[in-house]
Amino acid sequence: MKVSKQWLKEYVQIEVPDSELEDRLNKTGTEVDEVSAGIHPLVVVAEIKKIEKHPNADRLQIAIVTDGEKEYEVVCGALNIEVGQKVPFAKIGARLPEFSIEEAKIRGTVSHGMLCAPDELGLGEDHSGIMILSAQYELGKPLAEYLDQDTVFELEVTPNRGDCLSHFGIAREISAFLHGQTLKKEPISLQMSEEKADKVISVNISNSEDCPAYMARIIKNVKIGPSPLWLQEKLLKVGLRPINNIVDVTNYIMMDLGQPLHAFDLKKVQGSSIVVRRAKNDEKLLCLDGKERVLSSNILVISDSLGPIAIAGIIGGENSGVTPATTDIVLEAAQFNRKVIRKGKKILNVNTDASYRFERGIDSQGVEYALNKAAKIMAEICGGKILSGIVKESVVQPKIKIDIPTEKIREFLGITINNNEMFHILKSLGIEIKDGRAIVPSWRHDLSIWQDLAEEVGRIFGYNKVPLIPLPKTPKPPKSAFYIKETVKDNLVNLGFSEVKNYSFLSADEATIAGIKTSGLLEVANPLQPENRYLRNSLIPGLLKNISKNSSFDPVLIFEIGQVFSKEGESSMLGLAAAGKNADKLLEKAKSELLEKYNIKKHDLVVSKLTNDQAQKYKIRKPQTLFFEVNIDGIKKIKDNLDLKISNATIHYRKVSKYPSITRDLSFIVDAAVDASSLIDTLYTISENINRVELFDEFKSDKLGKDKKSLAFHLYLQDLDKTMIDEEADEIIKKAIEIIKKKFNATLRDK
Amino acid sequence: MKGSLHPTTIFIRDAVKVFEKFGFDVFEGPEVDTEWYNFDVLNVPADHPSRDVQDTFWLKDGQVLRTHTSNSQVRYAERRKPPIKVVIPGRCFRNEATDQKHETTFYQLEGLYIDKDVEVGHLFWTLENFLKELYGDSVEVRFRPHHYPFVEPGMDVDIKFRGKWLEVLGSGMVHPTVLKNMKIDPEKYSGFAFGMGMDRLVMLRYGIEDIRQFYQNDLRFLKQFNS
Repeated sequence: MKVSKQWLKEYVQIEVPDSELEDRLNKTGTEVDEVSAGIHPLVVVAEIKKIEKHPNADRLQIAIVTDGEKEYEVVCGALNIEVGQKVPFAKIGARLPEFSIEEAKIRGTVSHGMLCAPDELGLGEDHSGIMILSAQYELGKPLAEYLDQDTVFELEVTPNRGDCLSHFGIAREISAFLHGQTLKKEPISLQMSEEKADKVISVNISNSEDCPAYMARIIKNVKIGPSPLWLQEKLLKVGLRPINNIVDVTNYIMMDLGQPLHAFDLKKVQGSSIVVRRAKNDEKLLCLDGKERVLSSNILVISDSLGPIAIAGIIGGENSGVTPATTDIVLEAAQFNRKVIRKGKKILNVNTDASYRFERGIDSQGVEYALNKAAKIMAEICGGKILSGIVKESVVQPKIKIDIPTEKIREFLGITINNNEMFHILKSLGIEIKDGRAIVPSWRHDLSIWQDLAEEVGRIFGYNKVPLIPLPKTPKPPKSAFYIKETVKDNLVNLGFSEVKNYSFLSADEATIAGIKTSGLLEVANPLQPENRYLRNSLIPGLLKNISKNSSFDPVLIFEIGQVFSKEGESSMLGLAAAGKNADKLLEKAKSELLEKYNIKKHDLVVSKLTNDQAQKYKIRKPQTLFFEVNIDGIKKIKDNLDLKISNATIHYRKVSKYPSITRDLSFIVDAAVDASSLIDTLYTISENINRVELFDEFKSDKLGKDKKSLAFHLYLQDLDKTMIDEEADEIIKKAIEIIKKKFNATLRDK
Repeated sequence: MKGSLHPTTIFIRDAVKVFEKFGFDVFEGPEVDTEWYNFDVLNVPADHPSRDVQDTFWLKDGQVLRTHTSNSQVRYAERRKPPIKVVIPGRCFRNEATDQKHETTFYQLEGLYIDKDVEVGHLFWTLENFLKELYGDSVEVRFRPHHYPFVEPGMDVDIKFRGKWLEVLGSGMVHPTVLKNMKIDPEKYSGFAFGMGMDRLVMLRYGIEDIRQFYQNDLRFLKQFNS
């Protein structure tokens, strides 16, 4: 939800800078996603000195503008500019809502900035031409000094805090944490005509649990038209599109006070009674979004004598909507049951700003106030007459009271705070305290237990003042199954296998390729993508896909430890595959290691060989591919300890190019004392195009010289933007040899 | 020549190692679970908007792919008596379209501690020390109120990363309703819980730009982690 600082300031004094307000909102639980601080200071007032034709483009002009100090040449597409006009000029480096200004060459001419249309500055939607400024604006001054000094905060309000979905709600929070004061609403006085609203219509609620309060006012002789600018601007700022004066006021009040409202065209309401009731099965309503919806008894509707005219709290009906011809309106403000609205919007699959607020809970005591404020503004800007009286039906809602265990709260939070301070915080949030108990305000639907009060105290007091307390020492628990699985990984990595993680899903195609019958698989009821349709019952299809994908590696040695699923349940599996050079030997080694170190039974570990048919389906071209899969639920380790191995080695992560890479091998003879890892570290520094350095051979031999050893590396060379070519690879290798020779006193070993 | 551990595995181990020092057990729960363990037991009722926060994969048999490792909190605790001290790493799922920053599959590490007289200060100490072990003593840590239905109060935890606050953990004091669901008396015991998404932290650690890399299994990517 977006809130404007100027709007908030109608309710609460804000003397702190935006950055501090952002910080305080964050620290008290209203997360700030984004702050847009109006017009950037590098957008200044400039005057047009000269306009020339662009040499290479008919539709472009070149404007020479001055900020009073310097002249700038700017390419401009709009044709509404004239010499002598003052215009907004965004200098190089200015940040606009949609983009930043850089020096740019436009059709061969360099543009040193940009002249702006209103929409480009975030001032409405007008893009018809460059904004022409008042001649009185001073040259070179930031435009923000004249226009729009507002800051808009984009907030994330958690689902428990429906009361924060409005400017008033946020202002109430700010007032509590900035000033320690409870925010109160100004009373509203209305001028009303003699005619009585209840003589025109009546309201009838069929079940007060569905709708604890329904109120309506009638305003006659309104003139539908566009809203005044102040209202349009306010709505645009918080991301709403102005529609017409009546609808705009309902949206304005919703953003202002959090109370959704709805306006009906009185002349289209049939009969004289508005009924709030459950829909009958198969009743239909063409809604304001142009869609016809089929209703059922789960859906609450507003009905006239003929049938539904709105889906309560969710969306209005076309049959009773306000149009340019409307003259008399029924303005509705109500409280609907949160669960009923939630169920209704789920069934109908429609989300509106109104349903969003109703399902989170509105202020039951604020309905009438919002109705009055809306009526007042409507009468002011639409020229109508408010009929006297409110047509309403409502039930009294009991107040929730919570004991305040002050001592417990102090201990729980670990803070030093006396009762008075604690009560003061609660009161600043509008929580009344009577006989030592907290009375939950009508707008707070999230307070019911003392821990909820503790949170209110803690978040306003400040979590940064909570002292840290070390955990008491407890005996070390025995090492669980998790550790055993991790040792399996270590063993396999030591044998040259790499751990993969495949998705837990199978598509129908993947199941077919793997020859898996889908009837035994668990099936996802609501997959967004076909790949997520079934849950895997084996790790093998994933491993074979991985082998196919990594065709440039020989051998490919991989394993995965993960969950597989069937209608009988879920189990932990180890899957392993080897393909290519020495695959059989390498896989055999892994197998015997597992059998030796763990209580895996030999007959459970059956190695399969990829058939030609499978190889074709998976597009695997390796001469031999072998794999196995074994259940490791309840696996035990026979030898060794279960310590988690943590490596301290530096990992040189480099992005993998989409384009083909080149592999080169390099062997060096160095002093036996030289550490291979320091050579690796150095090699990485030689070029960003070295994706990976892999030590594949290290041995000592007298043949190499006394106390000498050989180190052999694979170097994987890539280019992030294109295919790596031999010439570039040669260049990198040449440089690598030079540097390693010099730095490590190394010699290159002939192959 | 050595193979390589998946970068997520390396990160989980680093995290587990720290909690091991604090005396935490390690548990792994099921990835497919009932609505009860994934939602209801955690004080997330079906008719409450907090369920919409999660995009859930529902199975045709009515089960769910767990949306968080919190599904295993009650599973672990209901069979034990306090003190309960456990971390739960594991794979979770989110039903959403994938792109550079969004994945259907991700890893979380859950933590749970229940004992007599557990206070907010214990939670803060544990997480602050954990983050310092992981990111160094100079890391700045901030606790911010946030709402999770299974804790009260709830907090998000941010660290300062390259000058910007970055959310790394969700946490809070175990909600009395959840304690009751664990068959633990909330009058006698209290506790804290936390959960952290691993994938994004692994991405930050190595500068990985695309979250989908973790499940593409390109050996050119994976073998870079052959420490």
